[in-house]
Amino acid sequence: MSELAIQSQAGTGMNRSRVGLGHFPAIALSCGVGLLLCAVANGLARSTEGDPMLLYWLGVLLIAAPIFYRLTSSEATPTERLTLVCLLGLSLYGVKVLRDAPLFTFSDELVHAFNANQIGDHHHLFEANSILKATPYYPGLEGATSSLMAITGLSSYTAGMIVVGVARLTLIGALYLLFLRVGGSARVAGLAAAIYTCNFNFLFWGGQYSYESLALPLLILIMMALAEREAVRREALRAWAIPVIVAIAAVLVTHHLTSYATVGILLALSLAYWYVKRSWASPNPWWFAVFAAALAAAWLLIVASSTIGYLSPVLSGAVKAIFNTLSGDAPPRQLFQKGSSAVGTTPFAARAVAVLAIVALLAGLPFGLREVWLRHRKQPFALVFMVAAIAFFATLALRLAPAAWETGNRAGEFLFVGLAFVLSYAGLAMLRRWPSRPRLTRGLLAAVISLALIGDAISGWPWDAQLARPLKVSAKGNTVVSPPLAMAEWADHDIANGRFAAPTADANLLLVPGNKSVIAGPYPDVEDILEDPKLASWQLPLLRRHKLRYVVSDLRPAASDGIRGYYFSTGGSDEGRLPRNVTAKFAQVPGAARVYSNGPITVFDLKGHP
Amino acid sequence: MRGHRDLSTVTVLALVCALAAPLLPIEALSLLFALPLAFFLPGYALTAAAFARRPIERPQLLLLSLGLSLCVLALGALLLNYVPGGIGPVSWTLLLALVVLNGCRVAALRRPKARPAAPLTRPRLRPTAAAAALLIAALLCATAALALTFTTTSAKHANGYSALWLLPPTPKDRAEGGARIGVNSEEQKSVNYRLQVRVADFRGEFARNFRLEPGETRVLKLGASKAASARPVAVTALLFRRNKDGNVYRRVSGWLAEPKPSR
Repeated sequence: MSELAIQSQAGTGMNRSRVGLGHFPAIALSCGVGLLLCAVANGLARSTEGDPMLLYWLGVLLIAAPIFYRLTSSEATPTERLTLVCLLGLSLYGVKVLRDAPLFTFSDELVHAFNANQIGDHHHLFEANSILKATPYYPGLEGATSSLMAITGLSSYTAGMIVVGVARLTLIGALYLLFLRVGGSARVAGLAAAIYTCNFNFLFWGGQYSYESLALPLLILIMMALAEREAVRREALRAWAIPVIVAIAAVLVTHHLTSYATVGILLALSLAYWYVKRSWASPNPWWFAVFAAALAAAWLLIVASSTIGYLSPVLSGAVKAIFNTLSGDAPPRQLFQKGSSAVGTTPFAARAVAVLAIVALLAGLPFGLREVWLRHRKQPFALVFMVAAIAFFATLALRLAPAAWETGNRAGEFLFVGLAFVLSYAGLAMLRRWPSRPRLTRGLLAAVISLALIGDAISGWPWDAQLARPLKVSAKGNTVVSPPLAMAEWADHDIANGRFAAPTADANLLLVPGNKSVIAGPYPDVEDILEDPKLASWQLPLLRRHKLRYVVSDLRPAASDGIRGYYFSTGGSDEGRLPRNVTAKFAQVPGAARVYSNGPITVFDLKGHP
Repeated sequence: MRGHRDLSTVTVLALVCALAAPLLPIEALSLLFALPLAFFLPGYALTAAAFARRPIERPQLLLLSLGLSLCVLALGALLLNYVPGGIGPVSWTLLLALVVLNGCRVAALRRPKARPAAPLTRPRLRPTAAAAALLIAALLCATAALALTFTTTSAKHANGYSALWLLPPTPKDRAEGGARIGVNSEEQKSVNYRLQVRVADFRGEFARNFRLEPGETRVLKLGASKAASARPVAVTALLFRRNKDGNVYRRVSGWLAEPKPSR
């Protein structure tokens, strides 16, 4: 009897077996040292000392590579594998936390932290958010955070960090159990869950305090519960329906795109069930798909109708960009290129690693597909995974169309679940092919997965933003803060009322810690108002129409960058400035007061005249 | 819940956590009790209720306990939004405790009497001394990493700066009118400043010299104009850094606020 068949009969094999630690303690120490190296590298980067990038990647490797190596082994117990993938998921989340503490510094994080603070202040949901209007209508994450904030008095930063940490643990645990049930092998499950951490967004984007960081784990929980449901006897189907229904409802109130992805995945699974079993009877999950679709539509139309206005420009822009790029009307997007003077370049070696990582994933695909087809073609989940694995590479093409980049990037996170499953079989096929030197082959496989992890982390997050930057600095025993943070803290402390117009990074900080109502970006078009050297006739009426009393003029090119715009400038130079007229033009507005100036940043009160 | 040790344990634990977490004044201690109350016990109770007749394996149980707890938190806020008083410490604590108590009660009622083994049994962990030492070392490394991250370090290449601002008086001083002029030093070292203020009334132009350490703030209060005037009184403040060239370093401008009678 094969290993897979034995494990299917004996369940997951973890319930009654003695919990063995295996190599876990040694690997945990390696993770601890890896985290320490990452902390040192980030500390050096914050101190503006040297170039600690190699130290940082060494830390990431120390966390991941030993786990990858151990998971390739046939000796590890199912429990050890589960604890190892949980350790991997949490440690990689730790890398993100070490970069950002003690403040959120990702664009979306500050938006959601503001929502959480609003719940804490007003004791109710759905308080307005002036930057991302749709976010208060998906309050799952902020609601969950508010529980810890309310009960313990923690800040939205600490409470949010913990909620996302628990969500990450759920994600990686659910992935393992999903792959275990579908693949029937703990070795496949461990490898596939580990390979999932190689997706572009796992290290940073997926670990941020944002609604998808909670919704995606809950979606994987739904998939895991459905896979378990498939394996039980008919009488137990109803019991497994309960977590599925509860998790669908939770996803729905947490994130729009994930709720639509849930509907899509449930539909795909229903069709796959029908294709394999020619039956719509349980455990075909078609009615879960209908339930999720009905709930998502009702929520969108009744509660969160502003989501349509938020998502439609993004999606229609993506479709338009694809056509323009295909027809040659627009040039393809240049990968790894500097967008502005505020953006650092990606070194050739890093670009090479990123490309090699994609090549490694692509090279494994046909072998994985063949193995999965041979073993699992009668399993609906496996069929959906195979389609997702192929579709993942199709989404890579979207990266070449400028406005479709984000859509492709987001879709990749969902599709990588299938790819991870397929590639785990490619890995096992590799181990079987060269059985004479198992350690070497295992080492090679672990090295390839490590390459994929690092390469995809480089592809998924800008090279110059991988490490921390100085935000709060110790000087003569006191703490001094960066110009945008100082402006936001001043606004929080000294400005009681009035709305702000500001560039993206300043606006995010005006939300948290500034606690202000603020508008940024092109809708309404404050972006152009803040970057034009002349005050055009439409600009002042627009500001007044939107009741924007305070205008934040920032001469730093990074001010419009939601990733890089929060920090001190370094090295004596101020990294290029916008023309002075960008600021000076507001001084000409009759009755305007120049109320704050810290060098690059000037705040005007358009109602300054008493 | 007699005869169901896991359910009794979870119920007692939920009650203890619900009482201790909101009452303890130290955040870290409060968190110690809030974590199981928020992230484990509600999910465990729901899982126990759903799978009362057919127990599931431990990994699935633990995962569902975490995952369903997250679901309870995400959906719970929506429920609390519509109860009197809204979302707060009392309503959250009550909701979580009620979810656990009801979940356990349903589980106890639905469970067959002769149930083989409670799922929340302790795994047989027997780490060797070497394994324990490695785990402790790992924990120490992770703690050191966190401590390092939350420590503010110096950054000699970060460009220091100073901020100058001009605002109406605080709500407390509004009755007196006037303005506040503030200087915040976000410099890397001590800096000597000269603040030059021009008021378009009898006061004319005057200056203050002072020195600020990094992170320090100096606020100058300007009183309202005593002479009754139909026009607002303009104020301009110029900040110079002494020992530098004579160029204006920062400039702000505005008007003196009229005294407002307190209601």
